Amino acid sequence: MTDTAGQAPKPVALSLQGLSRQFGTFKALDSVSLDIEEGEFFTIVGPSGSGKTTLLRILAGLDQPTAGRLLLRGADITKMPPNKRPTAMVFQSLALFDHRSVGENVEFALKMRGRPKAERHARALELLDLVQLGHDYHARPVTQCSGGERQRVALARALASDPEILFFDEPLSALDYRLRKTLEVELRELQRRTGRTFVYITHSLEEAMVMSDRIGIMRDGGLVQIGTPAEIYGRPGDRFVARFMGEVNIFELNKGHLTAFDQNLPAGNRFMTAVINGHMVVRPEMLHPVQPEDGGVQFDVTVTEVFHLGSRVQLHLDSVAGQLVAELPASSPLRAGQTVRFGFDPALAHCVPE
Amino acid sequence: MNRAARYLCGLWLGVIVTLLYLPILSVGLASLANTRYMRFPHRDWSLGAYADALNQHETLVLHLTSLKVALVVSVLSVALATLGAMAFARYDWTGRSLFQKMVVLPIFFPQPVLGLALLLFFTAIGITPSWKTAVFAHMVWVLPIVTLVISIRLFGYDPAQEDAARDLGASRWQVLREVTLPHLSPGLVSGGLFAFLLSWSNLPLSVFTTGADTTLPEWLFSRVATNYAPVVSAIAVIATLASVAAGLVVIAGLRLRRSRRGAGSPV
Repeated sequence: MTDTAGQAPKPVALSLQGLSRQFGTFKALDSVSLDIEEGEFFTIVGPSGSGKTTLLRILAGLDQPTAGRLLLRGADITKMPPNKRPTAMVFQSLALFDHRSVGENVEFALKMRGRPKAERHARALELLDLVQLGHDYHARPVTQCSGGERQRVALARALASDPEILFFDEPLSALDYRLRKTLEVELRELQRRTGRTFVYITHSLEEAMVMSDRIGIMRDGGLVQIGTPAEIYGRPGDRFVARFMGEVNIFELNKGHLTAFDQNLPAGNRFMTAVINGHMVVRPEMLHPVQPEDGGVQFDVTVTEVFHLGSRVQLHLDSVAGQLVAELPASSPLRAGQTVRFGFDPALAHCVPE
Repeated sequence: MNRAARYLCGLWLGVIVTLLYLPILSVGLASLANTRYMRFPHRDWSLGAYADALNQHETLVLHLTSLKVALVVSVLSVALATLGAMAFARYDWTGRSLFQKMVVLPIFFPQPVLGLALLLFFTAIGITPSWKTAVFAHMVWVLPIVTLVISIRLFGYDPAQEDAARDLGASRWQVLREVTLPHLSPGLVSGGLFAFLLSWSNLPLSVFTTGADTTLPEWLFSRVATNYAPVVSAIAVIATLASVAAGLVVIAGLRLRRSRRGAGSPV
């Protein structure tokens, strides 16, 4: 396939049209509209309580929207019960059937469809291969599997009925860092290999960045920004999205005037015309020690903390604009307590509206 | 643990078991006498009381009445308790915590008072007491306990398993059969056993609510109090052996089922 993404529109797998879900007076989902493309790895990112699990449950049919429609390849499936949908979900708790063996878990969907035993068994072994578990796992009780193994069992179980769309509800959140990283890559490879549409939810933007074709950021029951990982990272739509992506410095911008530093942006800066009132987002790696002749926005800071992050160090700085975060190469000689002149190039920064 | 400590532990265990079983053993010994008055050791050892017990039609009737009451109580309690436990373990609704407390309250009510209250109630609404009213009375007291036993099982598992089953293509009926019931079954069995045993041995509620029918504990109590004979002890021993046998049959049945289920996968 040639890479024409962005030009030729791909067919839409799942179309969300104004989905809302109200619990009493609480609006968990507020008119979410979104088209998820065929064969896409789409990740919904949001803090807890943003409504992302509610949304996923509606997509899987485990909950009903109070308003809106859900189309699967153009067919309305809003009212279709979950057992009739050609979709499968990997749950946050994994929800493995703990009174059954690995094999029985994996074969469950086929058993419910009345497939003969021999076929189920053959398919289960095929799936164990796919998720890189040995055939001897087939007879093992799921209660004897480790965290990573249980993860693979859940994945194999969801894949058994060959679903058109797979949903993932933060399945990796309980695992340790290294295992999570391994599984993220494997999941991405699996998605590429099977060509299925994956809809993934997580509170970790980092996780989303690694795996996704596109990311949707969710807040208070609504989607606030949709884009590729590069778009979201480079051009966050507002302060919420910017903050969500990790440590950032945010400065109030008032008609080209940085209030916190009482400095005007250099004349001709693109934000002078683009945004009149807003906030300037400065990533930690953009802040560094400067000489007066370097230009840009400059100010004095006192280093309060130095954290080693392996190849880089993270500095906490005290400034007129309050506490700032900077990231420098690990070779930086700066130590806590030193006062130095720091600055950044406003042309590289990103601005978000008020 | 060293040898001496282990020896002491064994001794301690032996003492406790002896203290538990000695009274029961003494009933067995009493049943082997042929006099109305307890004197030990017996001058004549006799199995005559057992012959009398087995020849009396009353022995069978008493057992059947108690069995009938206990079986109906256990079946109904398990069914109702499952629904009740689901209501407070699964769903969040206004009044849930009040319901939870109300459900357990009858346990704290002294049984003789509860029995009398129920009798007054039955009379007031014009129901003639019989073994059926005893079933109702037993359930008032047994149901809370069975509800608690089953709800422990319900609290102990991830309801997402049911969602997962639905998502993987199971109908509601299949979810119940494949996921919910297999998970609840240990709770249902122990709840049922509790119900059976509590009803089988209940005296204070039966005394007031059985009317013309008589359960085994009622008969034993009245005969011990007023008209003792070795046949009373003999019937008590028969009743004990019968319940032990019933328990063994249930356990053996469960074992058999488990081993047959586990045939495909080693446990």
